[in-house]
Amino acid sequence: MLPVAGLAKALRAIRRSIWVYHLNSGSCNACDIEVLDALTPYFDVERFGVKLVGSPRHADVIIFTGPVTRESLPKVVRALKAMPRPRLLLVLGSCGVGGGIWWDTYATTGGFSKLEEILKEHGVEVDRVVYVPGCPVRPEAIIYGMLVLLGLAEQKVREVELPAPGG
Amino acid sequence: MSLVKILEIALKTGRVTRRYPAEEPLLTPEFRGSIEVDPAKCWGCGACVKVCPPNALTLTPSGKGLVLEYFVGRCVFCGMCAEVCPAKAITVTKKFELASTNLRDLRSRVVHEVLRCSVCGAPIAAEAEVRAVVKASPISEEYAILCPKCRKERFSRSVGLRMGAPGGGSS
Amino acid sequence: MTDPVFKVVEELKGLGGVVEEIKDREVYLAVGRDKLKSLAKALYSAGAYLKTCAGIDERQVQGVFSIYHIFGLDELGVDVVLRVPVAEEDAWVPTIVPEVPAADWCELEARDMVGIEITGRPVKRLVLPEDWPEEVHPLRKDFDYSTRPPREFRSEVAEEVGVPLGPYHPALHEPEYFELYVDGEKVVDVAYRGFHVHRGIEKLAESPRFTYKQVPFLAERICGICGFVHSSCYVMAVEKAARIEVPERAEFIRSIVLEVERLHSHLLWLGVAAHLLGYDVGFMHAWRIREHTMVLAEYLTGSRKTYGINIIGGVRKDLNVDKLDKTLKTLAIVREGFVKLAEVMLSVPQIRFRASGTGILSRSEARALSVVGPVARASGLYRDVRKDYPYFAYREASFKVPLYTEGDNLARLLVRVEEILESIEIIRQLIDRLPGGPIAVESWDVPPYRRTVAAIEAPRGEDVHFLITGVGKPYRWRVRAPTYQNIPALRAMLRGAPLADAPLTIASIDPCFSCTDRVVVYDMRAGSRRVLRISGGVPPCPL
Repeated sequence: MLPVAGLAKALRAIRRSIWVYHLNSGSCNACDIEVLDALTPYFDVERFGVKLVGSPRHADVIIFTGPVTRESLPKVVRALKAMPRPRLLLVLGSCGVGGGIWWDTYATTGGFSKLEEILKEHGVEVDRVVYVPGCPVRPEAIIYGMLVLLGLAEQKVREVELPAPGG
Repeated sequence: MSLVKILEIALKTGRVTRRYPAEEPLLTPEFRGSIEVDPAKCWGCGACVKVCPPNALTLTPSGKGLVLEYFVGRCVFCGMCAEVCPAKAITVTKKFELASTNLRDLRSRVVHEVLRCSVCGAPIAAEAEVRAVVKASPISEEYAILCPKCRKERFSRSVGLRMGAPGGGSS
Repeated sequence: MTDPVFKVVEELKGLGGVVEEIKDREVYLAVGRDKLKSLAKALYSAGAYLKTCAGIDERQVQGVFSIYHIFGLDELGVDVVLRVPVAEEDAWVPTIVPEVPAADWCELEARDMVGIEITGRPVKRLVLPEDWPEEVHPLRKDFDYSTRPPREFRSEVAEEVGVPLGPYHPALHEPEYFELYVDGEKVVDVAYRGFHVHRGIEKLAESPRFTYKQVPFLAERICGICGFVHSSCYVMAVEKAARIEVPERAEFIRSIVLEVERLHSHLLWLGVAAHLLGYDVGFMHAWRIREHTMVLAEYLTGSRKTYGINIIGGVRKDLNVDKLDKTLKTLAIVREGFVKLAEVMLSVPQIRFRASGTGILSRSEARALSVVGPVARASGLYRDVRKDYPYFAYREASFKVPLYTEGDNLARLLVRVEEILESIEIIRQLIDRLPGGPIAVESWDVPPYRRTVAAIEAPRGEDVHFLITGVGKPYRWRVRAPTYQNIPALRAMLRGAPLADAPLTIASIDPCFSCTDRVVVYDMRAGSRRVLRISGGVPPCPL
């Protein structure tokens, strides 16, 4: 983990100019076309200074979709390894966050959270992750997730446990 | 020539951008967002768990009781749970701002007290479910607080009594 | 059974086929593997297209493995299925690729997934991950759907001279890609590496986790662009197998939503094609217009994508007066905007000159590979499932199916442009004729071990679902998406053509993965290898 001061500084530095690499680990494409949709006139993420880059080596943030299929796993690891520190990840959708509707099949890994252990084995450290549920994740939710990642918006969800009233 | 035409189109269209979050998102009244389970209405019956395609809803016995957990991280926002819930305890909200820095905050739970058999102490079901069943059906409360095994025993004993079996027909 | 069909069946019986089942529009014949090739040849000569083939572990039902070759006699609207049973200890069938070139991929998939060996052709692993153990076949019934054999991390190192880039260079946006072998500026051969999106969906539907009721939600997520096609095709297959009568209103609603999906998909493609040709203005305007269809879809179904309204026996959501009204208003806006945009886009030199005369797929090649959708219709094959095997409410709408014969990129573009206009027309007609009544059956029951073939015209072409019902859930569910059928045609389209045409040609089949942004180019003459970037940021496709 980067020391907190280093991370905070990095987040401030990219605040108005976010270079994003889109990494698809085997998703159905619904989240991916919503990512693209965010670039188009109705949402226009370029107003936040977001632009897509062609290589993880140039990325400030990686937008991650897909349940991490078995076949894509080594390539995903390598792509993440190529990303310079600090590694900031926006993990999208039911697939990325929880492994998706097929979270336990023979051909998938279970989403990004299951990937973290494998990444550690390969010496790939991730500095900040924000999980964005959705199926697919709508463009506004992607924007909101990005703002949370950069510390520009407050997270709204909290773990909740309530008793069912007795008697 | 085509440049002029496209400029014409662009000028006529003007700005369409919804400057979310400063401006309203492009939501329609039908949008299915995350769900909310009302603990006061939930029976803990597990119908939602059975229907949920990605298993985002789980019903697990634990030290605290019977726990219904909703993991919005894996939810596919189909709304089937709300449809099948016999208690109408599930609402589909319009919430989509669900981003979280950790997975724990994506979980919410309703904890049910488990009713135990008044004879042998085995767990039967959530108290709320038993209460709802008793309210809705002609089953007598005395049977409702027994586990299936003890219920069967009591029933065959009472049948035996009526038929005059020696010793009351105990199993 | 009509006379022409009767003739075909008699011929097949004469060649050794044994009729197992005759349904309304489906004929099932069992055939020994020694007779398979001659029957396949006869069907092909009779004008049949190969829809797909499926390997099935029928040990629980019939004690054998089987391979089902599913043919469609489009002009007669009848499916003819050849079933070849083989014993477990002796599981092999001969290839039918020489007679029916379209069978290439599905044979390899049957081999991967069930372990039926295919003789008489070079074989390789197609669908399963590279590090998957050799003798483990996921679609066998004794394989548990969630078994995960230990992984092997292979490090790929490039050996070629020139640029040191491995096949899995981290710069590759997504690992699906094409290998183009060039001689100077001319492409001499093409290899495709895909199936990185294999998630185990067919097996999952057979697993304890799923029942008939939940599979539509699984099917919808096969593809995030044409998901509704898949969920509709699945429920259609179940309804056909179980003879469930779906209320008319539900069929109309399904057709309307399917056409809305076609609109969003074609507009998406148009934008992406423009982007690839360096005409980003076109991309932005196409997607601006498309946004109306996304918002409309959400208003009609509850979600922008993954609509989730299909259930067995009907639909979950009705279209009230407000929704119908909104639909018509949206269509008017989309039509107006689209016509203006199309006019401009078709006059821009980037598109007119680069698309015309490039990426040609001849009619005979198209026929041999049984290509589908706009790719087929641009090469002179008049194929459209909505006309050939009418389903849902399409009989109630009168519409044109665009047909071009040039077979080039421009033809494929024009087919889609016309289809957008036809879709708008279809929706208007269906709304006009929308009947009242319920939107779903009260209850339904699915008897086990019934077989059906169901097909729907997706934006990309014919989507086929072959289903064998089981107890409470499918016994076998084979999905053949349209792009699966079209990608093999790329070899014919790219071979002998200039390298510069490759990106547009690949995109022109609308590969639902937006033509993989990376292409690896092997220069045979110079002995080098380089990676070309076609576009930025367009995601790959699930097949």
